[in-house]
Amino acid sequence: MAELRKYGWGEAHRPEPAFPTVRVYVWELPVRVSHWFIFLLVIVLSFTGYYMHNPFIVAQSGTTFLMATIRFLHEVAGFVFIAAFLLRLYWFFMGNSWANWRAFMPVHRRQWRGMGRMVAYYSFLRKDLVHQVGHNALAGVTYLLMFTFMLIEIITGLTLYTQVRGKWALGWLFNWVPGVFDIQHIRLTHFCVMFAFFAFVIHHVYSAVLVSWEERNGLIESIFTGYKFVPKAELEEDAVLSKAD
Amino acid sequence: MLPSNHSLSGVLQQKGINRRRFLKFCSLMTATLALPPRYIAQVAAALEKARKPVLVWLQFQDCAGNSESILRSSHPTVLEVVLDLFSWEYHELVMAGAGHQAEAALERVVREEKGKFIAVVEGAVPLADDGVYCTVGGRTALEIARHVCPNAAATIAAGACAWDGGLVRAHPNPTGAVGISEAVPQATVINLGGCPQNPVNTAAVLVHYLTFGELPAVDQYSRPLFAYGRIIHDQCERRAHYDAGRYVQEWGDEGHRKGWCLYKMGCKGPQATFNCPSVRWNDGTSWPVKAGHGCLGCASHRFWDTRSPFYDRLPTVPGFGADVTAGEIGLGLTAVVAGATVVHGIASAVRDRMRPMPPAVPPPANNEPPRKG
Repeated sequence: MAELRKYGWGEAHRPEPAFPTVRVYVWELPVRVSHWFIFLLVIVLSFTGYYMHNPFIVAQSGTTFLMATIRFLHEVAGFVFIAAFLLRLYWFFMGNSWANWRAFMPVHRRQWRGMGRMVAYYSFLRKDLVHQVGHNALAGVTYLLMFTFMLIEIITGLTLYTQVRGKWALGWLFNWVPGVFDIQHIRLTHFCVMFAFFAFVIHHVYSAVLVSWEERNGLIESIFTGYKFVPKAELEEDAVLSKAD
Repeated sequence: MLPSNHSLSGVLQQKGINRRRFLKFCSLMTATLALPPRYIAQVAAALEKARKPVLVWLQFQDCAGNSESILRSSHPTVLEVVLDLFSWEYHELVMAGAGHQAEAALERVVREEKGKFIAVVEGAVPLADDGVYCTVGGRTALEIARHVCPNAAATIAAGACAWDGGLVRAHPNPTGAVGISEAVPQATVINLGGCPQNPVNTAAVLVHYLTFGELPAVDQYSRPLFAYGRIIHDQCERRAHYDAGRYVQEWGDEGHRKGWCLYKMGCKGPQATFNCPSVRWNDGTSWPVKAGHGCLGCASHRFWDTRSPFYDRLPTVPGFGADVTAGEIGLGLTAVVAGATVVHGIASAVRDRMRPMPPAVPPPANNEPPRKG
């Protein structure tokens, strides 16, 4: 408790860093646009999708068109979601080194070591986290998992869609799926993965706030503006490392 | 039994079925096959000329429900016309003969009508323990099926059990039952799923065969597209209530009495394809959803396993109890993550206070020199 009294609960014990920081354009526009579209659409799709699973509002009047409207919203939102996902996919190859697909794949020993350090940090076995200009290796793997979940949602969603309006190219692409996996298990998967998004959103917002607090580099703001404030030495080292990749 | 060279029109005249009723039957068949009305004349002409092909009806691991279904057509046209279109030489449930006589009739058909007769199979074929779980006249179902079906012009699998094993094959399937196309892969099989199959569809397949000389177009499960090509939900008379958001919440409530949508009661109409809502049962009287009960998806592939629980929207999640729903598991997971996050947040705040002052110079980003690879 003496420690606590010494430092207090405010920001006073964490003075502004004395070393110079550089303003770096980390998250380019397609990254931010796809991020916020996916954020918005996950909310819309979860709400409408849950309603389609369990219509918790039962209409009493004869003039509403509730389920049809919600189903329509879900389908439209689904296709916009696919567009946002494809934009991000495109930027895996066209974007800067922090948006590149290599930043998500743990292929280097350095990334595995970084992941171990982050796990140690989260489980209180390590005091300080590893500073990164982009995202750390553990976050990269988590996002890779989420991209996989998104792909599963897209494939199962389009499969269910072809059951209703399966024509032409979409039908040709996805009509084989119910022959391999029963359509009820496609539905179950499509429903259960939604909760992975819920769990991820909670963890994602929390860890972003936590890391932003630790690094004091404007991490939270960066997903709006694209800019982070990074110590010069860190940026230089990051440039060397990404060249080494 | 009439000699097989008699034409249909003569037989119908003898039975007192007039031309008007015959043409009504032809238009029902044309409509069921989703053909344009101009085909009515072609169907009628083909049936009049038909020379009574031979049909044998085999029963294996079954409840005779599909036989009952076709015999229960209270309106005489379907039964009589279908019965009179074909020379039914063997059908355990209805034939007069028994024992060696009956089996000899089956043998005669296979020998003399080879490649010309139609075989209808009802019930699954057990494969476990050399097929001892179903024997007829001392021969196993598998032996009979292997003997009869490849010699038939076509085999019609009537009902869920003959198609994919049905109830008999449902988990844990102690007799190792399979459908007829799995038991006898070399046979030409058309599957008429459903528990039971709809006699109108059986008649339509036979009429299609007589009219065009071939079996109708089929889907990936070899089911005729005219009967299994459309989702029940899209043809349902309660669909307007679904779109409007009016649902039955429990049996006998206001919505149930008013005929609202049975979606929340686990109706599998949205995930089942069948022409049940348009053809209906008992000569177009009713069908399950019209009678106030959700669809079980009985015409879907292995529906006892894949469409259960019948009164819930989704299957149960493997590894959890039968009465835990996917939604409960998902919300539980979300709650655990939220709780863990709160605890972690408090712990992180405490750690931050316990930490000494940060150094004035930045630590290196990674505590190691950059290396290749």
